[in-house]
Order: sequence, then structure tokens, then C-alpha cells
Amino acid sequence: MAQVELQGVNKAFGKTEVIRNVGLEIEKGEFVVFVGPSGCGKSTLLRLIAGLETLTSGDICIADKTVTDLPPSKRGIAMVFQSYALYPHMTVYNNMAFSLDLQGVPKKEIRERVEAAAKILQMETLLDRRPAALSGGQRQRVAIGRAIVRNPDVFLFDEPLSNLDAALRHDTRVEIARLHAQLGATTIYVTHDQVEAMTLADKIVVLKAGEVMQVGAPMDLFNKPANEFVAGFLGSPTMNFFHGTLTGKPETPEQGRFSGGGIETGDVRLVSTEKSIGDSVKLGIRPQHLILDDKGPLEGTVSLVEHLGTDTIIELMAADNTLFRFVTADAINVTVGDVVRFGFDPEKVHIF
Amino acid sequence: MFPKPIEKSSRTWQLGYQALLPTVMLLWLAPLLAVALFSIRPDSDFLVGNYWGWPSSFEMTKNYGMVFGSAMPRYIMNSFLITIPTVIGAVALSCMTGFALGVYKFRGNLLIFFMFIAGNFVPFQILMVPVRDLTLDIGLYNTKTGLVLFHIAFQTGFCTLFMRNFIKALPHELIEAARVEGIAEWRIFWFVVLPLMKPAIAALSVLIFTFIWNDYFWAIVLTQGENAQPVTAGITSFNAQFRAMYHLMSAGSIVAALPPVLMFFLMQKHFIAGLTLGSVK
Repeated sequence: MAQVELQGVNKAFGKTEVIRNVGLEIEKGEFVVFVGPSGCGKSTLLRLIAGLETLTSGDICIADKTVTDLPPSKRGIAMVFQSYALYPHMTVYNNMAFSLDLQGVPKKEIRERVEAAAKILQMETLLDRRPAALSGGQRQRVAIGRAIVRNPDVFLFDEPLSNLDAALRHDTRVEIARLHAQLGATTIYVTHDQVEAMTLADKIVVLKAGEVMQVGAPMDLFNKPANEFVAGFLGSPTMNFFHGTLTGKPETPEQGRFSGGGIETGDVRLVSTEKSIGDSVKLGIRPQHLILDDKGPLEGTVSLVEHLGTDTIIELMAADNTLFRFVTADAINVTVGDVVRFGFDPEKVHIF
Repeated sequence: MFPKPIEKSSRTWQLGYQALLPTVMLLWLAPLLAVALFSIRPDSDFLVGNYWGWPSSFEMTKNYGMVFGSAMPRYIMNSFLITIPTVIGAVALSCMTGFALGVYKFRGNLLIFFMFIAGNFVPFQILMVPVRDLTLDIGLYNTKTGLVLFHIAFQTGFCTLFMRNFIKALPHELIEAARVEGIAEWRIFWFVVLPLMKPAIAALSVLIFTFIWNDYFWAIVLTQGENAQPVTAGITSFNAQFRAMYHLMSAGSIVAALPPVLMFFLMQKHFIAGLTLGSVK
């Protein structure tokens, strides 16, 4: 049985449905990331698992035990908050030892566990300080340490990096990945940052308006998005979408032909299989998957060129006034107003 | 920059400012100075109308000696015995009501909170007769206990408003983090919330101490005589039917005014509200 299992979970605040019929299984040792735009319910879902909110309907099991009606403390979880939520009047040591102390764990064992956690997080020298005397990254590590000492079945992270600056965010992200590899603990991590999701996760859960859009390994989601939302949400810059019609549906159910905006495709991946020939559809191509080709079907007028150093992002306007982007790592010499033609790899386009 | 530093203004304005400041200060402090001066005058100065002039003789030791030789120490003691339990009672109760109203969501939370606030808007003078009757009926008239109980009941409204808003402003994640860690609710109150409320407790204690110490109205409504009356009411005992000893009343007033002032300076360092710094963000 899964380490964490959600069955038909619903949550409504008054008449507003925040979480709709979410079912999910998380295996032991898995690193699962809930990702989605703000307001999609990802934090609420985490708080439901933590027991900080009560379910409207459904069931949650953690470590083979139904915890739906149990308080947070009985669920075998530890949570790291976005704001760290360190006890400001206690030293780093006491912040980590506090709950163990009140549970009556022997002093010697507390010291061992806190010191072990401090060692893992490389903050042995900080134990006597108060949170006010720590930097943002250090506070974050204390918050993680406080979770580690309790040795929980599941770690919950609620946007732990969003209060850190860019450089520190990267370092801490790497550290969290290292920590997970080291401890092998089941982890649920909430973020709105797709880079965090892609780099950290074993499994990504994409949420939109309280519903699960797709669940899967990062690269599966990236290469085979289940719908337009996932396709547009993951990847940077976002996927280009071109309007057109479905012109053919061969025998294989997940293939289709697209025509529109000057683009004609052969049989490519059809995501919305319920569409029939003649329906209006969208063709999705990632900016990275366009290929410069003087004879290509797609023509665009350059409207903006951004040099990022490693990459160059070019924003173009297609003949039918669709805005799209092209990203390349190669040196490219175009200026605003130039007309450029593109082709694409039919293996990497999707019809929605 | 605002306000504009005085060094940057014109010379005339600087001079005017420097002249005006002591004048205004003197005007402000005049009543206090008069009382202080009266407390070291001989009795005769009052009778001849020497209110503002130079004292005809300095009778500091004699006047203050007489104050301490009278029933005043007893009254001051009463004041302490009334004020300190009131401060402890009102602050302790309001920490708890504030925690309940600030942390828990329950039906009627706001209604109860508004009732606490609404109590503050009742002019206390209209309560004079009923409260006096009530204390008489339950046998607490002219006792320190009666005064303490009434003060606690009446101050808790304002204190709850103060504490509830302070607790509401504490980061809620702290409480949630403690809950996830399995800390019982009363321990969250005791070990997490209460330590963070120190600045609020200090500020409120000084405030309530001053309120109660300076209370005159309820002192004369609910008590009489030196067994229960606090110093504010006790000072008037220097006024007999045919004779007012203003020099002793002044000396008594100065003595009576000292504890709140001392209290303020003692608790000053606790007023720093920066205690929650570093908890979040």
C-alpha cells in the first residue's frame, strides 16, 4: 500500500470548492511536487494532508493508517512552512528540541537527534543562536532540521524557498535534493516554481483550480503533456500554440493531422482524442523545438529579441497574428522586422 | 526629511524656538511645580495666600514626615493591595481571552469580542449605583477584595481588546507549526504564545497599573475609611470639615504619584516590541 493515499478528497470553503475529487498515491520514499498557478489549491491540499484543514469529503491514509479524522500531531508528519515559523524566543537547539522535550524524550536522546540533524544540515555552530541572528537560508535550514529530528513518515514542504533570493534558492534546492537522497524520506513539496518541480520531483502533480491535471515523472509531463494546461505550464518560455483544424485521424487513436496558419502536419501526437475531423484544435510546439528552416511552413516577423547570454529568445508574429517564441542556444543574427521561417520535428509537436 | 532639522532653519527661527520651548515647558509643568512647591511650604503660606511666591520657609522634612506619620502609608499599602492583584488578574484573564479569541475560529467569536469592546463604551458613572448596591449585597462593600474584583471585571474588556489584537498579529504559522509538532493547545499558549506576548504584557501592565492606581471615582464609591481606601481617596483625609491642609495634600500627592512613574521606568525596556523579529521572513 502507498505511503500516502488520497481518495476522493474534496474541500470547500463555504460555497467555494477549492479541492475537487483529488485521488493520489504516493509511494514510500518518493519526492512528490504539487505545482500549479497561485490559487490552484496546492497549499490547501498540503494543509489537508497535514491536518491543518478538515476535509469536506474523502479519505487520507498515511503509512497504512486512515488519518482523516486525526489531528496533525497524530499523522506522523513534519511540515516546513514558507515563513519558516521558528519560535523566535528559543535558540536553534531549543527550536529543534522543543517538541521532543515536551513528549518526554530523554535529554540524552534529544541531544543526539538534534546534533545529528545539525550535522546533516551543516549548522552545528548555529545551535546557540536565536532565529533573529540567522540569515534567511539558515532559518530555512533550522526549519528543515526541526522537521528531521522528529523522524516523521512524511515530510511536507509548503513553498519553502519562496522567501529566499535567487542564488540562495538554488543552493537550498540542491541541498533539499541532497537531503532527500540521503534520508530517503517520503516528501511532498508544494511550489509554484516549475524549475523546482522539474528538478526535485520523482513525480509531479499539476493542479489547476483544485483539480489534478496530470501526474507523472517530470520528463513525461514535459514530453507528453496530457492537456493544454500542463503543456503551457511546464517549460520556459511557454509552449507556442497555433490555431487550426483537425484534418485527419488515422487508425492509431492518439494521432492526428493539423492544418492552420500555413502549417500542415503529417500524423502527429493528438492529445484531445475526443475531437473529430473538422473541429478547431491547437497545435503546440515548444520554442526550443522550432527549427530554423528557409523552406519551413511557419513564417514569423521578429518583434523582440532577448539575449540571455546562453540562450536567445526571439518573439515573432505569425501571418495570422499569433504571437510565438523561438529559443536557440546558437548565435543568431536577426533584428526586429526580419522575416524568419521555421520548421519543426513532428515527433515533438502536440495537437490539443 | 520631515520634520526639518532645527539647524537648517533661519537664525531668528532658531532663537524663537529656543526661547519658546522652555516657556511652553514651564507652562505645561506649572501645576506639577505648584504642587511640588506647596509640598515644601509651611502651612501658613496657604493661609496668607502665598501660592506662587517664594516659600516663607522650607518645611520639606516636616511636611513629608507628617505625611508618613499619618495614615498615608496605610493608604499607599491599600493602593498596592488593590492595584497589583487587579493588574495580575486583568492581564492574566485577558491573555487567555485574547488567545481564545485571536487563535480559535468558532461560532460567535466576533460577537463575544464585540461584547468585550462594547463594555468599554458604557460610561462607568451610570454603573455607580448598581455596582455599589451589588457590592453591598454580596458583602464586599468597603473591602479591598470588592474593589479588586470590580476593577478586574471592568478592565478585562479593554485588556482583551488589546491582547486579542496583539495575538492576532502574531504569525499564525507558529501555532500551526507547534500543532503539527504535536504540542498540546495549552502548551502552545504557555510555551509559544505567552513568551511572545511579553512586550504586550509589559505595556498593558503599566497601563492598567496607572489606571487603577490613579482611580478615584470607584475608590470613593466602593470604599470608605483607612482599612480599604486607596491613596487617591486617602489624600482627602487631610481635608477636615473646617480646615484643609493643602501642604500635606500636596506632599501626599507627590508620594502617591511616584509608583506609576517608577513602574514606567522599570518596565521601559520591556516595551521593545521587536521580540517576534526573526520568527518569520
